[in-house]
Amino acid sequence: MSAVLEGARNVYWRLSVRENLAFFAGLHGIDPRTRGDRHEAIIDTLGLTAKADEPAKNLSRGMKQKVALGTTLARETPVLFLDEPMLGLDVETTRDLQTELQRLAQEEDKTIVITSHDMDVIEAVCDRVIVLSDGDIVADDSVDNLLDVFQSQSYRVQLAGNPPAHLREQLDTRFKLLNWRTDTDSAEFKIALAGSEEFYECVEILQTAEATIRSVTEIEPDLEDVFVELTTAESVSPEETET
Amino acid sequence: MNRHLILFRVIASKSVTLSRRYLVNTVVGFVTLYVFFALIFFGGQFVAEELISRSVGPLVVGYFLFTMAVSAYADLTHDLTDEAQWGTLEQLSMSPFGFTEVVAMKTVVNLLGTFATGMVLLVLMMATTGTWLTIAPLSVVVVGVLTLLPVVGLGFVFGGAALVYKQIEKVFPLIQLSFAGLIALPVQDYALLKLLPMSLGSHVLQRVMTDGLRVWELPVFDLGLLVGQSVVYLAIGLLVFRVGTAEARKRGVLGHY
Repeated sequence: MSAVLEGARNVYWRLSVRENLAFFAGLHGIDPRTRGDRHEAIIDTLGLTAKADEPAKNLSRGMKQKVALGTTLARETPVLFLDEPMLGLDVETTRDLQTELQRLAQEEDKTIVITSHDMDVIEAVCDRVIVLSDGDIVADDSVDNLLDVFQSQSYRVQLAGNPPAHLREQLDTRFKLLNWRTDTDSAEFKIALAGSEEFYECVEILQTAEATIRSVTEIEPDLEDVFVELTTAESVSPEETET
Repeated sequence: MNRHLILFRVIASKSVTLSRRYLVNTVVGFVTLYVFFALIFFGGQFVAEELISRSVGPLVVGYFLFTMAVSAYADLTHDLTDEAQWGTLEQLSMSPFGFTEVVAMKTVVNLLGTFATGMVLLVLMMATTGTWLTIAPLSVVVVGVLTLLPVVGLGFVFGGAALVYKQIEKVFPLIQLSFAGLIALPVQDYALLKLLPMSLGSHVLQRVMTDGLRVWELPVFDLGLLVGQSVVYLAIGLLVFRVGTAEARKRGVLGHY
């Protein structure tokens, strides 16, 4: 097992990129003198060739993060743990690292465990997601399945004209009203509806209040929505999320 | 190459490289040791010339042993503190060799470095005092190692404590002072004092270096006791270190400093 830990430097700042790779390979019993080509390939893949003999302290934060990832690869372990690997990195470096992680998983058959609060990274890179809340697992499923589960639960409704004053309270009492905004001649709200029955009931309430529906849009959830939903709602068992 | 040799090689290589990169620190450390000795020697001559001239040999051997002992017990804790501050300590703990072996290997490297600088310092001290002692390499190394291993054991105790309690270096000056006392204990008069770390080793090393005795000419009981001390102190040290490591992991403070 090897790991890149958030908040730690992970590599020796006074050693060069090559020296760091050699040390961490040896730390796992791999003779760095027999892995020269592999180390050069890692350095090349991570775009560090021009800086290979530079002490890590002279590199940018993103490059240091790449060196840390490089040292985990030099250890040739089947499992990599990465704690907040993209934290503080610029957009380009983040994209580069995401691509590299996907390549490692697909081409080198590495198991990569990422812990992160950045749902964009998780959604872009991971196959399987485990969501923890207060130390408990509240979801354990694929990204696609989790997104599907929350797919049709939220809607954005636009109304023409000003709806009656009691409508907002009525909707909020009956359903989960996520937000509500009114202009001079229109209103818009976001609402969570569990299943088609609640959807039709909501439409009926709007019709009874003589509100004119301009549009109803199903909101495509991203993983961040799922995460917020899971960690703020009651725990959902893996079985529930899979259904 | 054997996996353990690979580990030794990369740790030694890293140690040498970092010593070069922190060159000022390395050089100042060595020069300070020599200047301190020169102060004792020349200052002592000024205050009590006859006493110093009668005890130059024991002074040189004692200082040689003292500097190596300080290094042998303190380097480990300093290394652990440095690694924690550099954010690399947890990386070391993930080695398949196990954290204790990695740290033990670093201690072996440190001891070799300590011996190397100790020998250079010894030559400088002898040149400064004009007193040339017997340096039978095998005997000096065997007795030197057996004298220092109990101190290394103490180093592991402090290293284990440092992992859990962090800043413990404040007690080091006190320990260093006690080393000076242990080196000078009159073990020939009080046999029980031989059980304390370094006291017997210091006495035996004095005989090797000032009386020119070889290791095979030493009393078997004393040599046996030195080996026994090394094993016992080292075992206690390693045990405490492992307990300290486990406790630091349990508390989640291994990488803290």
